[in-house]
Amino acid sequence: MFASIDDLETQFCRQGYIADRLLLTSIYLSATLGKPVFLEGEPGVGKTEVAKVLAAILDTELIRLQCYEGLDAYTALYEWNYPRQMLELRMEEARGIDKATIGRDIFREEFLLKRPLLRAIQTRGPQPPVLLIDEIDRSDHEFEAFLLEILSDFQITIPEIGTIRPDHPPLVVLTSNRTREVHDALKRRCLYHWIDYPTLEKEISIVESRVPDIKQRLSGQICRFMQAIRNRDFFKRPGVAETIDWAHALLALGVEELTEDTVNATLGCILKYKDDLEKLRYEDLSRLIADAGNAAS
Amino acid sequence: MSLLEHVVRFSRELGAAGMPVSTAEMIDLCRCFTYIDIGNKLDFYAAARANLVSSHADFPRFDRVFEAFWQKTVSTPVHETNNEDTDEEDALRKRSAERQRIPDHLDEDPAFGERSAATIAYSPDEMLAKRDLGSLKPDELKQARRLMVRLLAIIANTRSRRRAPERHGRDINFRRMLRRTALDGQDACKLLYRRRRIRKTRLILLCDVSGSMERYSRFLIQFICALRHELPDVDIAVFSTQLTVITPLMTRAGTDDISGRFAERVPDWAGGTDIGQCIAAFNRHFDAQMRRSRTLVVVLSDGWDRGDADQMRSAIRDLRRNAQTLIWLNPLLGFENYQPLCRGIQTALPHLDYFLPAHNLESLGKLVELLREIW
Repeated sequence: MFASIDDLETQFCRQGYIADRLLLTSIYLSATLGKPVFLEGEPGVGKTEVAKVLAAILDTELIRLQCYEGLDAYTALYEWNYPRQMLELRMEEARGIDKATIGRDIFREEFLLKRPLLRAIQTRGPQPPVLLIDEIDRSDHEFEAFLLEILSDFQITIPEIGTIRPDHPPLVVLTSNRTREVHDALKRRCLYHWIDYPTLEKEISIVESRVPDIKQRLSGQICRFMQAIRNRDFFKRPGVAETIDWAHALLALGVEELTEDTVNATLGCILKYKDDLEKLRYEDLSRLIADAGNAAS
Repeated sequence: MSLLEHVVRFSRELGAAGMPVSTAEMIDLCRCFTYIDIGNKLDFYAAARANLVSSHADFPRFDRVFEAFWQKTVSTPVHETNNEDTDEEDALRKRSAERQRIPDHLDEDPAFGERSAATIAYSPDEMLAKRDLGSLKPDELKQARRLMVRLLAIIANTRSRRRAPERHGRDINFRRMLRRTALDGQDACKLLYRRRRIRKTRLILLCDVSGSMERYSRFLIQFICALRHELPDVDIAVFSTQLTVITPLMTRAGTDDISGRFAERVPDWAGGTDIGQCIAAFNRHFDAQMRRSRTLVVVLSDGWDRGDADQMRSAIRDLRRNAQTLIWLNPLLGFENYQPLCRGIQTALPHLDYFLPAHNLESLGKLVELLREIW
């Protein structure tokens, strides 16, 4: 699939995702060994993005399973389309077809509602699909146990149809925001990687890659400001996603450099809680902007 | 020595450092060697870490063991560098081998769930139940631990009964109904219900282990272990000058080597107290979880605080907002002449749902009663 880690790095760069060597190695090994990759980290550091980029590179489908508490096997795997089956049943009965044939007919694949996990296993194509199991920490223990089983065998048995195996096992990316500890057994089944907040240099590269029209001076100021904010004691530290949003917003407003007015107006891009916004008092703000500006010039 | 042998030894070092590695993981790491340049240290490190470590918190320890092991040349035996760690871990393992197991028969007693916790008074343990927890001797502590386990088992059983299926309910189970109909070939069918999925209320214990609570520390450890043993999905955090979430430590816990682990990982055990800062840290850590499902927070502290009062006030306010129920257990409350005058308690009092004593097992029994009702 990928010739080497360097090859993967080039492809990721081309898609605008700046990844460090450790992350790339984990992804490369995951694709080569057929082992899922488990990405953990604070919100907004680019975990979900990895799956999207992978799908773009391989030119394959991205199948997304969004986890939440109460997500069960049926919703993730498959469900029979009962109303359609009943309709078919009635119609065939009316036509006088015998019961045995009806029994076979209504359990054909066309009556199956395929949910993400089944679709991931059934997708045919030159390249395997990318299966993104997003925010696994929001699901519960029962679902984790179920998932562990699926990821171990990569095959699904539907009693009425049979066992379904993939041509190529999908590339599986699991993400977690670490709101709780995911069970060790599941993490050990995967290659584990923690995505941290980026360094200043890395963040600048990311912004310049994602917002190509931005001036170097402004991107430097933005990133310095964000790095300083992350060192503060806020309820919700902003991630890289927020930095990119803010950069887009400032660009759209035609801002050349950070001033108190523009920052105040666009602060909602960075901080999403009233308490956090209040914490950033006026004096603090001007000092932060001055620091970000001074270092840049 | 071949690379494989090195990998096996390295895995043993990791195991000795508290990061056990399974054979499957070792095999996977070896499979990786075909695809990476093992001469490139960074790639080798990345492959090793991705395969052998499964938690961000373990990264610093892994890095230390990795550096120590792979810096050495082939011929030098590696145990020598990690002598300190290995000895300590060996000692801990020996202690755990002597640990007392919780008697199984206590868990299986079917009638016990029916009796209320107040029946402790009728058993020979009555005297023990009234003794102040700080004054218990080690062997009495073991007995106390057994009683605690029985108490906690009541809660565990009550909760599991609540999850039994309901025959009547509000939500109709369409899936099952249609399947039944399809098989029977009828249009009218019996209404089947789906049990309402009870959103679990989670319990988080926040325990004060500062100097002023020192007399209760042995009991606290036992209590935490018993709690974790009976109710595996409880989160536990301890604080003194800073907050340490110890739930991950309990997953691989024996019972007696817990003290050793705590001493290692909780740097400020029996230190000063900064309740405000610690509760603020607690809020940050558990915020997402508390929003997701209803949470019951139990704070176990005497309230002596040397930190900033304003910070404490705002932290408690935030905690109250996020948690569904806030219970404060104070070991001092059981004493006759005690008045909750200290600043910490005074600040917290208006925000608490329940303010209860926790000085002896009898009072813990009452806590269990309360938990049965509200959890």
